[in-house]
Amino acid sequence: MTEPWWISVIKALIIINLVLVGFAYLTLAERKVMGRMQLRYGPNRAGPFGLLQPAADLMKLIRKESFFPASAVDVLYIASPFVAAFTALSTFSVIPFGPGWEIFGYQVDGQVVDVPISLILIFAIGSIGTFGFIVAGWASDSKFALLGAMRTCAQLVSYEVSLALSVLGVVLMAQSLSLTEIVAGQDGTWWYVVPQFVGFVVFLLAGTAETARAPFDLPEAEQELVAGYHTEYGGMRFGLFTMSEYINLITLSGLAVTLFLGGWHFFFLDGLGPIWFLVKLLALLFLFIWIRTTLPRLRYDQLMRFGWKVLLPVATLNAVVTAILVVAL
Amino acid sequence: MGNVLVWAIWIGAAAACLGSGIAVVSFANPFFSALALIGNLASLAVLFLLASAEFVAAAQVLVYAGAVMVMFLFVIAYLGGRADTPFEGGPSWVSFGAVLAATALLVEIVVAIGLKAGDLLADEAEVGAAFGSPAEIGRFFLTDHLLAFEITSIVLLIAAVGGVILGTKTRAEEQLDRLDKAAP
Repeated sequence: MTEPWWISVIKALIIINLVLVGFAYLTLAERKVMGRMQLRYGPNRAGPFGLLQPAADLMKLIRKESFFPASAVDVLYIASPFVAAFTALSTFSVIPFGPGWEIFGYQVDGQVVDVPISLILIFAIGSIGTFGFIVAGWASDSKFALLGAMRTCAQLVSYEVSLALSVLGVVLMAQSLSLTEIVAGQDGTWWYVVPQFVGFVVFLLAGTAETARAPFDLPEAEQELVAGYHTEYGGMRFGLFTMSEYINLITLSGLAVTLFLGGWHFFFLDGLGPIWFLVKLLALLFLFIWIRTTLPRLRYDQLMRFGWKVLLPVATLNAVVTAILVVAL
Repeated sequence: MGNVLVWAIWIGAAAACLGSGIAVVSFANPFFSALALIGNLASLAVLFLLASAEFVAAAQVLVYAGAVMVMFLFVIAYLGGRADTPFEGGPSWVSFGAVLAATALLVEIVVAIGLKAGDLLADEAEVGAAFGSPAEIGRFFLTDHLLAFEITSIVLLIAAVGGVILGTKTRAEEQLDRLDKAAP
């Protein structure tokens, strides 16, 4: 039985709001965890334990004046934050978070939409999303913003190849591009993180670079570029860019959970599907915050050398060896 | 109902395809042209989707609209992206030749389709569940079209090597650079 279209719409609304709340509290969690790791308290004034800090930030951003550089290209300047935010939100729709249920006689699938090529779809929409960042940097007509956008371009092109090659091993083992089938392939057996450990590490490293987080945050290096491509943005337009960056991180972690960590499966208690998914997701997000507080930023030549001379050969070798083993075994 | 929706999407995508194609050649600013080209590739992807070729559509967006156009934007933004002097039209025989060539292409396409398909155009194509799936495309690449596939890969390899050779400075040029720097 397939699910009726209106259930998909309701589910999409719920998931979008959950992801948005997740984003809001991820910013708080990041500041709190970073604070503790740097022997500070982190935000603790707005509400108990600073729990209302995201709401306070939102109010601040919304009430700010929508400042606009006089020489900016207006249409592109205004449109690019929306492109970035829209593509970031839409990619989460294909990530499976549960087995699917029957509620009041209606079939409810464990993801918003199930398409047979969902893995490629995520990469395709994500690659459109990068235009939001690049066009924003160009349309701002500012040297810092343009340099940030140039760095974003170069970094994304360099690391996207490794990212795509690192998931190839999983695709070969599951023999499918569908995320639901990849999750099903990990049921009752080893998660793909065990046979594909190299792929997992490459995925995490290239993913950190794709989302431009420390130690790969050169596109937004504050000390050199003020803020990178969103230097000239303020208020909620800036908020949309921050939102899309954090949501891209959440989607990337969700993708890592789906591809390498068994998705919503656990060794036992499979009925708690979405909860296991959430637990694994949070663990990965914590890992990303941990990496950010621990490692210093790379130099630009180190970034390029690492991407092309270390990560890409390792990812290629991993894909080739996996292909040989899958055919031979 | 479903058919009307498909028609509406097809007309929208086809119009967007033509419109963005015209926009690519009429913008004075190359950055806008590149953006219009992205729109063109995206609307082509929608047309592929309507033809039940989901994998090709996704690959089109991923490879062309994504990776390749990022490089285009990179170069255009890096070189300034200012409005260059718009195309003045050149000598009149150029535009005359362009129209002639375009018409010849159109006639060729129509004649080729007419001769090849003939009456078959009236029949509906049989599209199975496996049509356009990654597995089916992969099978075709490694069986029926293996030669073309391999030749393409060699051509791409040659292009990559050529790019590296063109981009690398020779030793003589490097020495000249060093002399330039050493000179006061």
